[in-house]
Amino acid sequence: MKKRRFLSFLVILCSSFCLLSSGGEPQTLAIRAGKIWTLSDGVITNGVIIIDNGKIQAVGENIDVPEGAKVLDMPDMNVMPGMIDAYCHIGLSVNVQREIDETVAAVAADMQILDAFNPHSDDVKKALRSGVTTIMLAPGYRNPVGGQPAVVKLDTSKADGWVLKRTAGVDFSVMNQALMFDREPTSRAGLMEMLREELDQAKAYKAEEFNPRREVLKRVVDANLPAYIWAHNVDEIASALTIVDTYGLNAVLVAAGQGDEVADMIAKRNLPVIYPPLLLSSRDKDLRRAGKIAGSGVKLAFSSLAPKTDLYDLRTSAILAVKYGLDKETALKSLTINAAEILGVSDRLGSISQGKDADLVVLKGEPLQLTSSIELVMINGNIVYQRQEE
Amino acid sequence: MWGKEMKDIKGIVVFASLFLQVLSAGALGAEQVAIQGGTILPISGAAIENGIVLIENGKIAAIGRNVAVPMDVRSIDASDKFVMPGLIDVQSRLFVIESEFNEGRSIAPELNILDGLDPFIKEAPEVAAQGVTAVYITPAGRSLIGGSGAVLKLNGSKDVGRMLLKGDIAVKATIGVSANNQSSSLGRLAQYSSIREALLSTKIYMHQREKHAREMAEYNKKRAEYEKKKQVRPTEKVEKPKRPDRFRPNPTREVLAKVLSKEIPLQIEAHRVTDILNAIRLADEFGFTLILDKCTEGYLVADEIARSKADVVLGPVTVSFVETPRLEYRNHDVRNAAILSKRGIKLALGVSGRDGASSKFVALAASIAVANGMDKDLALRAVTLTLAEILGVADRIGSLDVGKDADIVILSGHPLDTLSRVEMVLIEGKTVFERKDKQ
Repeated sequence: MKKRRFLSFLVILCSSFCLLSSGGEPQTLAIRAGKIWTLSDGVITNGVIIIDNGKIQAVGENIDVPEGAKVLDMPDMNVMPGMIDAYCHIGLSVNVQREIDETVAAVAADMQILDAFNPHSDDVKKALRSGVTTIMLAPGYRNPVGGQPAVVKLDTSKADGWVLKRTAGVDFSVMNQALMFDREPTSRAGLMEMLREELDQAKAYKAEEFNPRREVLKRVVDANLPAYIWAHNVDEIASALTIVDTYGLNAVLVAAGQGDEVADMIAKRNLPVIYPPLLLSSRDKDLRRAGKIAGSGVKLAFSSLAPKTDLYDLRTSAILAVKYGLDKETALKSLTINAAEILGVSDRLGSISQGKDADLVVLKGEPLQLTSSIELVMINGNIVYQRQEE
Repeated sequence: MWGKEMKDIKGIVVFASLFLQVLSAGALGAEQVAIQGGTILPISGAAIENGIVLIENGKIAAIGRNVAVPMDVRSIDASDKFVMPGLIDVQSRLFVIESEFNEGRSIAPELNILDGLDPFIKEAPEVAAQGVTAVYITPAGRSLIGGSGAVLKLNGSKDVGRMLLKGDIAVKATIGVSANNQSSSLGRLAQYSSIREALLSTKIYMHQREKHAREMAEYNKKRAEYEKKKQVRPTEKVEKPKRPDRFRPNPTREVLAKVLSKEIPLQIEAHRVTDILNAIRLADEFGFTLILDKCTEGYLVADEIARSKADVVLGPVTVSFVETPRLEYRNHDVRNAAILSKRGIKLALGVSGRDGASSKFVALAASIAVANGMDKDLALRAVTLTLAEILGVADRIGSLDVGKDADIVILSGHPLDTLSRVEMVLIEGKTVFERKDKQ
């Protein structure tokens, strides 16, 4: 038994090595799987995915495997697109939420979170083990203007190519947690006034002034760059909507925990929501909110806010949301294609369809079964994680 | 004439009332419920397809495929459903009043969690509706030795006495937990040695108590002889025996004495490797029954735990359940339960959530453990029978066996499928939850 396990480990090791080392020269790979959850064309039973040079070349039921292609045969497995954690703070060597933000200056629009990211952090390995292949790495909520989040693919051990967006937008917060006793703003009204002042000045900004902070906010007021706005309670959401309406921002609401109570207002403005981890609250009333928000036609993505919760539980959030009323298909989309659309990377990620990056997760069992183990994870056609017996 | 008639009527009335009494006694006293059909997971044995569970007086009277169901029992149709014993959260905070969660004193084993509970918590029915029929609650956190825990049933009573299944389950101790996220190795050593000192003083106390008992026995014997002599020869001068000094019982030491004499286990919360090993070392030195609580880095010293024969109450399975993950959780690994259970360690899984309502996530925690390598049957046992065995309540709950309490959950699918819905929950044969929005 032990010997067999060791042998299979060797085989896995060799095959992973071949795949990992194949990065240099283009190679064709074919995956045969029991079920392929494409997220663009439904579920394909006993299908094939052809991967060429890190991209998905074809996917379907009756597809010929090109000659010389390496074949991964997994008839008992389910394959889904790599999951996207739409908001987290991993690899920043922080233990507590408080350490994420630079809170000396209330407006840190030019701060780029990527500068604090350690691509070799253990957090990245943990994320891959959880089936998450892309994250939005973001500042926290304790500044009215928190800085620039980045969209990152998690094959960060490579020298380059893993940063999809260094500046994915600008992070705002109208939450009470952004108020502090030792720096302005100290009240909601003060916070709103500060935001208006910043955005007004950005509106009037001219390129020759050369002010990086204004420059990036200018792109936000011109609706060329998304504004990710933290607002959790109903009153905070109302404040966020006021800013969105005043400046016509291209905005995404972050958290919106009580969003179900004003879901029609969010839906009317076509604002997507990056929803917080469901395990943060255990009351039935709260657990039902995600389903209610999505039910009102609001596009949803899930987030782990790691290290606030374990990144592993991104999928747990989706499953719990289904248990408490969210439609199954919407839940899967929120983990993948909807998140990709909200983050503006759906041209490359979020579904198993021709031309997209071969970022895939192989599970033993269906994606919305919590007991399904994550067996293999692939980014750009390279195996970045493979499960071994404990 | 009247007299005779009256006598007859009287006779009839007496007879009739007696008959009614017998009837009603039958209805109330021996209430029978039969759950029929579906897949029964008794946990103590293999699954039974299309089985029957017969409940009598709140206890399981019969279980199996060929159970004779009496005529006029209350019948519950469970065809296409799963029937299993109620789930238990071994690391619950339900009913605990948050502001009173910790006692300032560091060594306070004489405290009882039952004295500080709020049975009116409004989330309790939500927890029961997820198939959780009992919770184990301990004093937690900052006290080094913090008092004894109890198992309570979620039967909807507002009377702690009626909810109580068993008290004095274990005395709770804590090594190496930092209250302020500061964790110095010297501070941890100090915590360890404080607990050791308390146990050592108890050993001395027990020795003195024994010595006193011996001296008292001696004295009583001499005193009896003295009385006898005086009675026989009242005039003779006999020396009166001297009574030993009074022994003052110490409530703190009395509780710890029960731990050292193996009447109650000592449940030690330990997260990091050094703290786990120190807990084992204490058990080796003093010979008490050890329950390792939390055991976050257990997977790094699985062999040592297996060798120690300590039982493990593991949780949280995922750090997402923790409010602010402190340094203790730095090396938390979601595969911990799988690794420990594969070494044959007796393991219960708890939620260890951020609030009382988190206890509803018992099945979810077990499912996450399964996704990360734990055997399905062992994971189910870890939230039912194994758990009950570790807490010493397996004679009442934890499996569907004849004679045990009829604490039963009926689900639409397998309990480890998070999307299965709980259809009905019974505690001691009484329905405490029934799903209304049936499609």
